[in-house]
Amino acid sequence: MYAQAFFVAVFGLAAIGFGVVVFRTSSMVRSALALLFSQTAVGCMFLAMQTEFLGVLQIMMMATEMSIMAIFMVMFMMDPGGLGGMEMTHQKRFSISAGVVAGGAAIAVALLADWGPVTVEAPDAEMQTRALGIELLGRSMLIFETAGITILTAMIAATAVAIPVYTLSGNGGTETKETSE
Amino acid sequence: MTLILILALVTGAILFGVGVYGALSQTNLVMIMMGVELILAGALVNLVAFWRFLHPESYSGQMFALVVMTVMAVEMAVGFGVAIARFRARGSVEMEEAGDLKG
Amino acid sequence: MNFVIVLLALLGSVWLLAVVEGWTTTGRLRPAAPLLSGLAHLGRESIVPRTPDRVFFETAPVLLLIVAVLGAAVLPLAPTLVIADLATGALFINAALAYVLVALIMAGWGPNGAYAMIGGWRFLGQLIAYAMLIVMPITAVAMRAESLVTTVIVGSQDGLWNIVYQPLGFVLFFIAAMALAFRAPFDLPTAPGELGGGVDAEYTGVRLGVLRLARLTLVITLASATTVFYLGGWHGPLLPPWAWSLIKTLAVAVSMLLAGRYLPRIREADLMRWCWTLGIPLALLNIIVVGLLVLVVP
Repeated sequence: MYAQAFFVAVFGLAAIGFGVVVFRTSSMVRSALALLFSQTAVGCMFLAMQTEFLGVLQIMMMATEMSIMAIFMVMFMMDPGGLGGMEMTHQKRFSISAGVVAGGAAIAVALLADWGPVTVEAPDAEMQTRALGIELLGRSMLIFETAGITILTAMIAATAVAIPVYTLSGNGGTETKETSE
Repeated sequence: MTLILILALVTGAILFGVGVYGALSQTNLVMIMMGVELILAGALVNLVAFWRFLHPESYSGQMFALVVMTVMAVEMAVGFGVAIARFRARGSVEMEEAGDLKG
Repeated sequence: MNFVIVLLALLGSVWLLAVVEGWTTTGRLRPAAPLLSGLAHLGRESIVPRTPDRVFFETAPVLLLIVAVLGAAVLPLAPTLVIADLATGALFINAALAYVLVALIMAGWGPNGAYAMIGGWRFLGQLIAYAMLIVMPITAVAMRAESLVTTVIVGSQDGLWNIVYQPLGFVLFFIAAMALAFRAPFDLPTAPGELGGGVDAEYTGVRLGVLRLARLTLVITLASATTVFYLGGWHGPLLPPWAWSLIKTLAVAVSMLLAGRYLPRIREADLMRWCWTLGIPLALLNIIVVGLLVLVVP
């Protein structure tokens, strides 16, 4: 029990620490990889809370997701290396107070609410994987399918938005239309 | 055991706060998406903690966490699609320069 | 105890693989060469490039090594000889190997060099090509075993190895594993001929030594994964189980080396095209065929 509390606390601190680094560093790749390690620490917290499948899934998904984030940061930021010391924030005071109020309110609820009896024993990992699979393809199948269709729709929509506008021109319509002003 | 639940909830709350700060304070679309990812990570921590310590017999809790992970992926895909289109049209994804999107 | 044995087996296999690699390139069989060149790396000057991202530069080789060992931790050498027999073993190895990409991006961005950076981002493109071909064949393997536990997966191949049961999955997984280990012909991030070493280019001395050790360990881990998922793991006549695991692992690793020696390096765009237009439909077909077989054959 104390070991579990210790690991949850350590990984929680790591997640928060890396999460803060995301907005403190000026190097964009560092920022993206700090977010990656923050998410990995969240995955490790799941493992510490004996939720093996979700923990491993989180660790796996975030590695690729945040690496892709990194290349987009390098592509779209004015100063990806962070050597120019560019200012990239606005409405600072408002955002800090909003963050503090939102986080503080959530902490207050966490501390003040009566959570009632807490389960000590978690189901063992193999049972969990099995039960989650049965849940996915049983009662929650419609939700699961909807999530799948949503991803498919998002993929198609994102690709459609992102590909350049083609116009028919002399060389077989492969010329990109210039849309900038 | 309530201690661990509260530890996890407080972690989730702080991640949420940091994410809200990031999403509001950054000027770049990609950085704002990072803030949103942190908010969702905070929500995920809460969901898993609730499942583990309050209702481990009901797997809808884990299902909900899976759906949140899906939302994270979808947010990334659509966000980057919009970012590419915006960058192609205007040469930047800075929020300060996006006033022309106002209706 | 298991931890030490598996680690020693991993190191031994890496040494053997390095000897074989030297044998195929120079034509001479020198068993001491890997040790000597490792010692030589320790003795050489370890240069740090100008204005590096120091954290990434130092972390990348170590992270690559840790990831390769973590991936090997869930792969059984014998029925009880496994470091961590996780309930989600087949998923865990994917999670561990996803960080190969992170390590390579760090190694590419860290040293502040153009070749290294191109190499690092190239591997991101390579990931988009091979990632689905790692995961989808493993899905089919897990379908047959009805479990994600690696020891159960090996147990399910008692009568018939998966290479016979789902040959298509084996071929796809083998190719994707070579791309993941960035061996030739998929060595786009290093590409000695065109990128001057790519992510390796700025590393010297001890750090290069760790990087090379990590790359060979990664090959052994992937060969071991191929063995566990497709070649029946420890199953085999006469010899003890661990011996069969090691023999099969080394055979797969050496065949990866040989395939790389006789094939030209593939272009990134071609790799992407083949993986998405041919590889993924085939992987889906594999899943459907295995699903039908699982349902029809008792």
